[in-house]
Amino acid sequence: MAQMELAGEMYEVDENGFMQETDRWTEDVARAYAALENVNELTKDHWEAVNYLRSYYLENGICPMIRRLIKVTGFNLSRLYELFPQGPAQSACKWAGVPKPTGCV
Amino acid sequence: MKKLKLTDIAKGGDSQLIDIDVDELVPLPPPYDKAEEFPGFKQLTEDQRERLVCNLDGVVSYAALPKPKNKAEEKKYVKQFISGLKKLLSKENNWTFLQPLLLSLDYCAQCQTCCDACPIYLGSGKNDLYRPTYRPEIFRRLVNKYIKPGGKLRAKLTGADIDLNWTTITRLYELSYRCNLCRRCTQACPMGVDNGLITRELRKLFSQELGWAPKELHEKGTMLQLDVGSATGLRPNVAIDNLKFLDEEFTESTGINVSTPWDKKGADILLIHSAGDIISFPESPIAFTILCNAAGLSWTLSSEIPGYDGINYGVFYDDVQLARVATRHAQIAKKLGVKKIVMGECGHQNKALMTVADRMLTRELNIPRENVMTFLENLVFSGKVKFDPTKNDFPVTLHDPCNLVRNMGVVEPQRRILRYLCPEFREMTPHGIENYCCGGGGGLSVMSDVNFTDWKVNVAGRMKFKQVLEAFADHPGPEIEKYLCAPCLNCKLQFRDVFEYYGAKEKSNLIFGGMGELIVNAMAIMKKPFLSWEEE
Repeated sequence: MAQMELAGEMYEVDENGFMQETDRWTEDVARAYAALENVNELTKDHWEAVNYLRSYYLENGICPMIRRLIKVTGFNLSRLYELFPQGPAQSACKWAGVPKPTGCV
Repeated sequence: MKKLKLTDIAKGGDSQLIDIDVDELVPLPPPYDKAEEFPGFKQLTEDQRERLVCNLDGVVSYAALPKPKNKAEEKKYVKQFISGLKKLLSKENNWTFLQPLLLSLDYCAQCQTCCDACPIYLGSGKNDLYRPTYRPEIFRRLVNKYIKPGGKLRAKLTGADIDLNWTTITRLYELSYRCNLCRRCTQACPMGVDNGLITRELRKLFSQELGWAPKELHEKGTMLQLDVGSATGLRPNVAIDNLKFLDEEFTESTGINVSTPWDKKGADILLIHSAGDIISFPESPIAFTILCNAAGLSWTLSSEIPGYDGINYGVFYDDVQLARVATRHAQIAKKLGVKKIVMGECGHQNKALMTVADRMLTRELNIPRENVMTFLENLVFSGKVKFDPTKNDFPVTLHDPCNLVRNMGVVEPQRRILRYLCPEFREMTPHGIENYCCGGGGGLSVMSDVNFTDWKVNVAGRMKFKQVLEAFADHPGPEIEKYLCAPCLNCKLQFRDVFEYYGAKEKSNLIFGGMGELIVNAMAIMKKPFLSWEEE
């Protein structure tokens, strides 16, 4: 298993950098991921999407459909790409500390 | 490009067998002809080279492939491999595919006719490693040497001597996932040799004997599906909740009442979508809801594990998992008392339950199963739904999912629909049973470990992307909206990766989607287009 340093701590990650220990996530982890994608400040909008993704995942064991994310946050897809350079699945889920979506999605 | 000998597979220890040079791949038409404009093929990092088994082509599809700690462990794996080989060749252990495997091992005439049929080999610029005969011939020689009496001596005398060592088996493992199992080679073979099957059986050996299988197919694939209900992790209550949400969304956006039935005992039809469609391409399941309701069909979805996720990755790598999933699907249909099962738009899903599982589904589990394309054809031509084909006034081409078309022989139904509903429908060249695989076949479309996606979009999907672009050569630019109809979830996932990598939406205004969406888009009752080239 690959290891990665985020905000001064070591974490187990997959080969694409997604955290494997969801419960060790902190807000600093999200900031550290963001910095790696050259986003140096997390705004209210970032947190709204990240917190929603995370709480939905913890409740349902899966990330929400993009459509639901758009509906709940009110951000359209291009706004989501503005906030998260590699998009909701590759960036936002990663920053929220949940595993990479798999299984025909 | 480096010439490879069959015996090279066993040589060189941990060193990489070949390099992939993007400049040697088959060229794409403009504006996709400049490799430097695209994100680029991710090279393995020093750290990854240290940690991972990467002795094939600089691509890793399975990071968890174990590295043996010592010679004894290496030997243990080699012994397991030989034991697996024996099982593949015995009827007690390979009741599923023994006969075609034996015939395919015996009858290859080494004519290499199949090479010109393989989209991966062609797309790679004819790289020897991806020759559709390379892997099977190594497999054949290993069988001859290690399983047949006197094989070792004969191998020495004939010069066909391939050493079975740690390097050989790990390279063979990775190489078994450099094939789409599209079986275009099989169709081209004058002797009927099935190189796709040999590759699939090799994967089976690795999975059933050594426990090596891509995590997306096994651990997070069939295992997760059998456990929580879906390889996506979608649980029954969340599936129902998502569809309810979608029903409301689409009722609002279309102005017609969209209502998806669940768990209706005694319905005529059990429809099983891919759960991935519900999550990633919700227009597809919603289109089916709209169509089935408009045609007045008696139908239902099931929320029983795993009755709402029709995928069966076992077909790609493992007979045991294949049987478990297929049996559960049939049992759910039996319990509901439906007259038939229809799988959603997904090639392997249709093939798995309709034909591959046929010998397992006996007696009360032998419930009629219908191919999704004939189902839609009957629906469109039933006269129960009114259409206005002028609504589909944009260029459309059709991708033939290998499992629906070449491997199940369903060619015309989807074309009858398109000729009726899409005035600007045009075929790709070649098409029908001659189609090229999307590049995601054989389970590859769901695999994305390490840098595997780069290989899929650069090599495996290259010939398909080229022919899609060529089908729209009369409107190459973004001025005209164009639609690639790909009636298969796995194909759509591959097209999503390819279109994103090359920027096909921006450069060519090209989108992809299923068949159901196109049909709904042409329904006379729809006030607004169902399809959209704009993002949400």
